[in-house]
Amino acid sequence: MSSKPRVAFFDFACCEGCQLAVLRLGETLFELLEHVEVVNWREVMTGASDDYDIAFCEGSIRWQKDIERIQKIRETADILVSLGTCATIGCHNAIRNDWPLDTLRQTVYGDPTFPAGIITARPITAVVDVDYQTLGCPVSAPEFVKVFKAILTRQKYDPPNSPVCVECKLNDYPCVYEKNQVCLGPLTRCGCNAICTRYGDACRGCRGLVDGANLEGAVRALGADGAGRHPIMERVISAHGLSEADILEMFGTYNTWPKAERKDYQYED
Amino acid sequence: MQPQKHILAFDDLPILLRQWLRSKAVIGPLARQDQPGFYYFDWIDPADADVERLAERLASGYVTTTIPPKKAFFPTRETLFNFAAAGPVVPKNEEHQEPFLLIGVHPCDLAALSLLDTAYAHPPADGPWRKRRSPATVVGIDCLPDQYCFCTSMETSGSRDACDLFLTPITSGFLAEIYSEKGKDLLRGIRTEPAQPRDIQEGEEFLHKKEAAITLSLQAGSEEFAEILDTVDLTEVWEQTAQRCYSCGSCNTTCPTCFCFDVEDTLDTNLTSGRRYRSWGSCQLLEFTLLAGGANTRGERRQRVAHRWYRKFLYLYKQFGHSFCTGCGRCSRACTADINIVDVSNDLIKRAKEKR
Repeated sequence: MSSKPRVAFFDFACCEGCQLAVLRLGETLFELLEHVEVVNWREVMTGASDDYDIAFCEGSIRWQKDIERIQKIRETADILVSLGTCATIGCHNAIRNDWPLDTLRQTVYGDPTFPAGIITARPITAVVDVDYQTLGCPVSAPEFVKVFKAILTRQKYDPPNSPVCVECKLNDYPCVYEKNQVCLGPLTRCGCNAICTRYGDACRGCRGLVDGANLEGAVRALGADGAGRHPIMERVISAHGLSEADILEMFGTYNTWPKAERKDYQYED
Repeated sequence: MQPQKHILAFDDLPILLRQWLRSKAVIGPLARQDQPGFYYFDWIDPADADVERLAERLASGYVTTTIPPKKAFFPTRETLFNFAAAGPVVPKNEEHQEPFLLIGVHPCDLAALSLLDTAYAHPPADGPWRKRRSPATVVGIDCLPDQYCFCTSMETSGSRDACDLFLTPITSGFLAEIYSEKGKDLLRGIRTEPAQPRDIQEGEEFLHKKEAAITLSLQAGSEEFAEILDTVDLTEVWEQTAQRCYSCGSCNTTCPTCFCFDVEDTLDTNLTSGRRYRSWGSCQLLEFTLLAGGANTRGERRQRVAHRWYRKFLYLYKQFGHSFCTGCGRCSRACTADINIVDVSNDLIKRAKEKR
């Protein structure tokens, strides 16, 4: 009988890319696995045990039955970790909350009366308490390692609380704004080591809002408060033929759930 | 010190660069392959260095880099020491450092290196900085300003601080000013002619032309500005600036004179050994002044914004007799909210004058 902590991985509504990001750790994963016994991980092993100490949960909650399942996991695990943006702040799944339920049923199931326990899509963190949070779409593999080590050494882990700009600059990447592109880096929590700007893309905000993000300043920069746009945003917007709505939509890709801060859910079946 | 001045033929720079790359590790401005028109300082691989291209870039006045060349002596992230759960901690910071060559440094960044030499020599002196800085050789080069430069206001446009050799492109080649034995050694093996009065005059004209092309200027000298910050209530400017600021830290992380850092421990995956490392810090970040117990002495954005000005133009001016700003304009260029350090400073100066 092993005395190592037993680890399980679970997924809810998601692409399971976070689990793949963990698998892609390669040798580091084997080093981490020295300290634990994996007892449940559908994506990589046959057999499954319902007796585990640490649960990593990926994905969003979007059915009534998901709530029951995550509550069961919460009861079983000593330590529950939300894995990635879907599980922590809702991610793409929450975009559907902006659509009428009938339209969703028609589009997805071809039947506007499709019966199901469909509820407002929400992150795991909105349903149960979690002990550790990891962010990213997919989760940042180096951050996963940090969290894993923190769990094993019984330490707290706080996600970094600086905008992506910090990691972007420390890597000496030219500012995305200088390339006349919209970037959500100034508002988004870092911890990804600016991987998107490294490859020439802009930050799309997958790690969610940084604490104390200056949203009022962003609204003013976009000119959405009627005060006139900021010159740099004017330049960015005109260079790409974008509208404020386009930018807000880009912002909403990952941040729809926290934007609304829904306490009462829009629909429940 | 009066420098010796020589003329180095344009064609000889590639030869020299090859020579330098053979004898030492060299860090210099490289062009981004992925993003044309952008440059960054990095180690130059002698095996695939395109020295003709590099010489051309130096001669034509490459555009400033995102982060300054201070990273040669103060890496964005460096290991301070390793530790094990059992056994003593072994400090690493006094280990031997191979001498290296930093090339292509613009005058504002030379001035910044000199300011950092002063700050980091202040007791307790910074070991990792000294370890890399003392054996290094620095080659400066003159530049062309962009729309964010205001070096003339900070009196750094003609700075030759902290450099061993300085190059200015003129008609007959590079005007090479030698400031140290190390600088003299760099020209060994190449035939240079002593500079004639007309060459020296042309060098001065280059500087004057550069200064004339600079569009931004501070409306107060360093001493007056320090006094204004020290004595006038400027809360409204801090509040207005803070409404725009994202606290993204881009101003600090691109600044050539910021020297704050963050220290963090990481455990290896064996959970029994680890490393302590430091990385560049930023006083604009929410957690910079977060204390144990959760108190934050600069939790408000306007407090952090104000601190940047006080630090650069007042506290360090009082401590060292210089503003810790060299007018490189990187913070204004990098600001994601388009906050320009000169505009805000002039607003402060204007309001202070009105209040008096």
